[in-house]
Amino acid sequence: MSSPAPATLASWLRTRSDEQLGALLAARPDVARPAPSDVVALASRLAVPVSVDRALDELDAATLQVLDVVLLADTDGVDAADLPAALPEVPDEVLAAAVDQLTTRALLWGDDVLHAPEPVRRAVRYPAGLGRRAVELRLTLPADLPVALAELPAEEREVLERLAGDRPVGHLPDTDGPGSSPARRLLQRGLLARIDALNVELPREIGLLLRGPRPFGPPRVRPEPPGLERDPAVVDRQAAGAAMEAIGRVGELLTLLEEEPAGLLRSGGVGVRDQKRLARTLKVPEPEAAWLLELAFAAGLLDVGGPHRDEWLPTRTFDLWREQELPDRWATLAAGWLAAVRLPSLAGQRDVAGKAVNALSPDLVRHTAPAIRRSALSALAEYPPGCGVAPDDLVALLRWRTPRRADRLAPVPDLLAEAARLGIVVGGVLSAGGRGLLATGEDGAATGMRGLLPDPVDHVLAQPDLSLVAPGPLVAELADTLAVVADVESSGGATVFRVSEGSVRRALDAGWSATDLHDFFTRASRTPVPQALDYLVDDVARQHGRLRVGAIESYVRSDDHGLLSQVLNDRRTAAAELRRLAPGVLVSGLGADEVLTVLREAGYAPAGESPGGTVLTRPPARPRAAGRRPGGSAPQAPRPLTGDELAATVREVRAGDAALAARRGEAVRQVPGVTTAGTLELLTRAVREGVPVWLGYVDAQGSGSQRVVQPVSLAGGFLQGYDERRGESRTFAVHRITSVALVEDDDLAPSS
Amino acid sequence: MSDGPLIVQSDKTLLLEVDHPLARDCRAAIAPFAELERSPEHVHTYRVTPLALWNARAAGHDAEQVVDALVRYSRYPVPHALLVDVADTMDRFGRLTLANDPLHGLVLTTSDRAVLEEVIRSKRVAPMLGARIDQDTVVVHPSERGRLKQALLKVGWPAEDLAGYVDGQAHPIELDQAGWHLRDYQQEAVDGFWAGGSGVVVLPCGAGKTLVGAAAMAEAKATTLILVTNTVAGRQWKRELIARTSLTEEEIGEYSGERKEIRPVTIATYQVITTRRKGEYRHLDLFDAQDWGLIVYDEVHLLPAPIFRLTADLQSRRRLGLTATLVREDGREDDVFSLIGPKRYDAPWRDIEAQGYIAPAECIEVRVALDDEERMTYAVAEPEERYRIAATASSKLPVIRRVLERHPDEQKLVIGAYLDQLDELGRALDAPVIQGSTTNREREKLFDAFRAGEVKTLVVSKVANFSIDLPEAAVAVQVSGTFGSRQEEAQRLGRVLRPKADGRQAHFYTVVSRDTLDAEYAAHRQRFLAEQGYAYTIVDAADLAGPGEVGGPDWVDEPAD
Repeated sequence: MSSPAPATLASWLRTRSDEQLGALLAARPDVARPAPSDVVALASRLAVPVSVDRALDELDAATLQVLDVVLLADTDGVDAADLPAALPEVPDEVLAAAVDQLTTRALLWGDDVLHAPEPVRRAVRYPAGLGRRAVELRLTLPADLPVALAELPAEEREVLERLAGDRPVGHLPDTDGPGSSPARRLLQRGLLARIDALNVELPREIGLLLRGPRPFGPPRVRPEPPGLERDPAVVDRQAAGAAMEAIGRVGELLTLLEEEPAGLLRSGGVGVRDQKRLARTLKVPEPEAAWLLELAFAAGLLDVGGPHRDEWLPTRTFDLWREQELPDRWATLAAGWLAAVRLPSLAGQRDVAGKAVNALSPDLVRHTAPAIRRSALSALAEYPPGCGVAPDDLVALLRWRTPRRADRLAPVPDLLAEAARLGIVVGGVLSAGGRGLLATGEDGAATGMRGLLPDPVDHVLAQPDLSLVAPGPLVAELADTLAVVADVESSGGATVFRVSEGSVRRALDAGWSATDLHDFFTRASRTPVPQALDYLVDDVARQHGRLRVGAIESYVRSDDHGLLSQVLNDRRTAAAELRRLAPGVLVSGLGADEVLTVLREAGYAPAGESPGGTVLTRPPARPRAAGRRPGGSAPQAPRPLTGDELAATVREVRAGDAALAARRGEAVRQVPGVTTAGTLELLTRAVREGVPVWLGYVDAQGSGSQRVVQPVSLAGGFLQGYDERRGESRTFAVHRITSVALVEDDDLAPSS
Repeated sequence: MSDGPLIVQSDKTLLLEVDHPLARDCRAAIAPFAELERSPEHVHTYRVTPLALWNARAAGHDAEQVVDALVRYSRYPVPHALLVDVADTMDRFGRLTLANDPLHGLVLTTSDRAVLEEVIRSKRVAPMLGARIDQDTVVVHPSERGRLKQALLKVGWPAEDLAGYVDGQAHPIELDQAGWHLRDYQQEAVDGFWAGGSGVVVLPCGAGKTLVGAAAMAEAKATTLILVTNTVAGRQWKRELIARTSLTEEEIGEYSGERKEIRPVTIATYQVITTRRKGEYRHLDLFDAQDWGLIVYDEVHLLPAPIFRLTADLQSRRRLGLTATLVREDGREDDVFSLIGPKRYDAPWRDIEAQGYIAPAECIEVRVALDDEERMTYAVAEPEERYRIAATASSKLPVIRRVLERHPDEQKLVIGAYLDQLDELGRALDAPVIQGSTTNREREKLFDAFRAGEVKTLVVSKVANFSIDLPEAAVAVQVSGTFGSRQEEAQRLGRVLRPKADGRQAHFYTVVSRDTLDAEYAAHRQRFLAEQGYAYTIVDAADLAGPGEVGGPDWVDEPAD
């Protein structure tokens, strides 16, 4: 190349080919929309912290390690040819691929000499897991560091070794007193830096010294976990088993909810009592019931409904779903689960307040869930059919793949367990249905399962012990009918129903006749209907309806049957709407006083009767309103302030005072909500030089305060700092800072 | 998709379609690890429980065989999770073994250190363990052998007992197979038991459990203690032993309320052993009276709780349990497993019946309509009186008589639970009555007369439920019972299931008052019998008297309208 190397990111971008720029935009699509006006605009968009973070998050550990080499170099810019020397254990092709990835994404720029843009430097807080330089941490390290370290007791040394590993920041133990723990003793010796009230940081120099020949840590090559290999046909059969189980259970659950819906809690979700009831009826453990509820909801088969929108009910989709072939039903469940933004495994666990989270509660929503599911399953899909890895190994692989998102991987083992329950994964291996699901969604899932799941059956086997065995999944219509006339005794591949006195009575209550039942059993059963079953139906039918219940408002009774007939046939009493219920008793839908009035007007002499049968001679009591009870609750007195609250208020006032008094450099003022470059510049400087700043601040409640803060970091629109007067470490939103100024040194010395 | 005969349910029940061509093979494959729960006509239900899986392990089957059998015969794909669960459960058996160490005596050893750590830390188990010898071995006091096994089962880590048995005092016992020979299944049962050391043999009533006991004694050739439910059963054992083995009358002792003989072979009743005076068991010495080489428990499913406690101390002796069913109404199946031993042999009733060793039986429920007066009495009765009133209704009497008239030439039993009713029946039918207060001598006399055919009909109370042998009773009529207990039903049915000389069909009638609690209990009975695979017919009393049917012992057809 004849032309001199470009001096800035923008000018380097100018030298990139169209394909390369295209690759950049494809890899970082967030900078592409709306289209940047020129390369300078593109460069400045590439510098936006959110965009940089997103790009870095997608890199694997090996690539990030290469980036670390550039970030840690003493010079600005590292010759690409020097990389193999820095990472001798990493294969060349891995290095080349990493450099290509980084330059494609403009996370490094330069053709021969690689430069890291400033936003990338800022985004990688601890390159290679090393802390900041001692200077930046305002530490003065001992002149002969190796000797100083060699003299340390084993305990202290151990702490340093640990911090020299992946993370240079550690928590101080909760012990009091300056010399009470190794970490605190190290602080005293000036070998660790305190970054806030709780955390300490290991200076880069010590980290490098302890790491010795491997300054960038061990080579982060892709882990190669031992693969699992199983017969794909066996995997698919077992997956189909799990699939049948899931389909059957969800169907049963929704049928139960159809009969008796679960109540919607005010906080959303299903109450513990309903969940217990469902678990008991389905004969599954409670967490399983929660999982089935979540699964049904994810698949759109369950939702809030009812006249007051306060019940969990099967949806209309459920009616269509249950008519479908089993593979399609499975596909709906699997696809619903894959795309769900909820983590069912969190149900039943305790939240920060120590309260158990209910199934279907809004607290289970995690918007990252679908992405995590897909990335975990995609990693399995890279193995050929029949091959896979154990869940723990998969987590390790995912951690290598996106180390900056490692905190998101916590739910992965649970997600894999759910996938196994659904039949997407069997023992760490993706099933054909699971593969289809990932590749082409619902259709693919159904295709993968087709042929493995049985066709629904349309008959049962009636047995002399009054059980009906449905030897396979039932067609929806028969399942509906059986749910009325029999109780489920066991479910799974087949369903065992039992006809009992109770179930026959239920059918009769639902309007079936004995003949209907006989016909139904004859039609539905492939085996001859046992005599005992016919007898049972007839026995119950004979007893059914022998007692009749209806509602009336009043009655007229008399021992004189002739008189009653006269009343009944009297045209003048027609207004009383009387009819004969039994000899000696007439009944009416009207109230007793109305009937009395009608009869009296017709010239009869009726008397009212009390429930006990005595004649009512007194007029009914005069109507009265229910009075208020004397002595209502007294208004509550305001709660007195506690000692702590008083002290805090005083501290607030004093701090504001002191901040006012602090002599300071020229303040940068700003309109609240607009972060000016000046403010940021001043704050950045304060952080870098470790000088305290004077802040005017408006908190979230809108109350203003003035304080002197020892800044620690400035990132993402937040300033972290230690407010010495108030004795607390806290975070300030930059947009709430109304004015800022550097505090001159001598102001701090005279303290109150 | 394969078209196997087996359907695996989520609750680990297995449904076996019996008409399927592969049903026989499948049954053979699943029988070792699944308990037959119900065997009605078309689909049999087996249940896979942890105990059943451990029984299978004890019998030498491994998880792979179990999983293979499930997968091979299953019609539908079996969920992976279920197979994993089965394998895990089976894997728990045998991690711990009880063994004899030449130096330390009885020790608990493990092949999995973590398991040993877990049980050592368990509150239930820890007190029974002694010093730790090394990382895999802990000393166990010999007297805790039984209780330790019980406790380990409760915490889910059943131990395999390989500590062996004492031989006991030798005593020559031979089977005297003149004119008869041990049936194949009996021989299999003895072999299974002997190979396993201790355990339970499950055979239906009338399938010759006594002979299995006798053959086991001949195998042990040592002094034997036989525990039976009552004196009559004890005498029957004695008769059988004298007839079928080389033992003579002098060698067999009876240890009961009446006699306290201790001989090389001693037969004791549960009752005498569990008798307490001033809070102490008085007859515990019996267990130490001889150096027993074998202990036989008849009717294990009825074994009372105190005997479990005593049995816990007898773990170094061979124990044989005999029973028709492992189902205990008190749910103590796990104690049977840990104290007496795992199941060593099991044969389904219908199979033995098909081989012709027990008589096929027809169960008939006869429904009697109460007259108005009885209905009114029933309707106003206190709830606790209702069943008695329904069961002892005198409307039943003519029906019972008609039933008996249908079988004029057969030996008939009328079984009831209420003494008043039995006395009334005895008078009305002119038949002798046997009940709790009947002396043993009187009983024996009547049984002999019944056996000889001099008495055609006997009216018996629930004393007849257990172990008496009435070989020629071809008809049983049940008039009242104790609330349809499954146990009772199995026993009563056993009364008519002994093989008949000419292979006639046995009849088991139940006379029930319609639309009462009696009928409700009959529904339980019906379910139990249908589950056992018996043909069950319901007949109205009026239909029973149909013309041309009366007196026909082979009445099986549709009742005339």
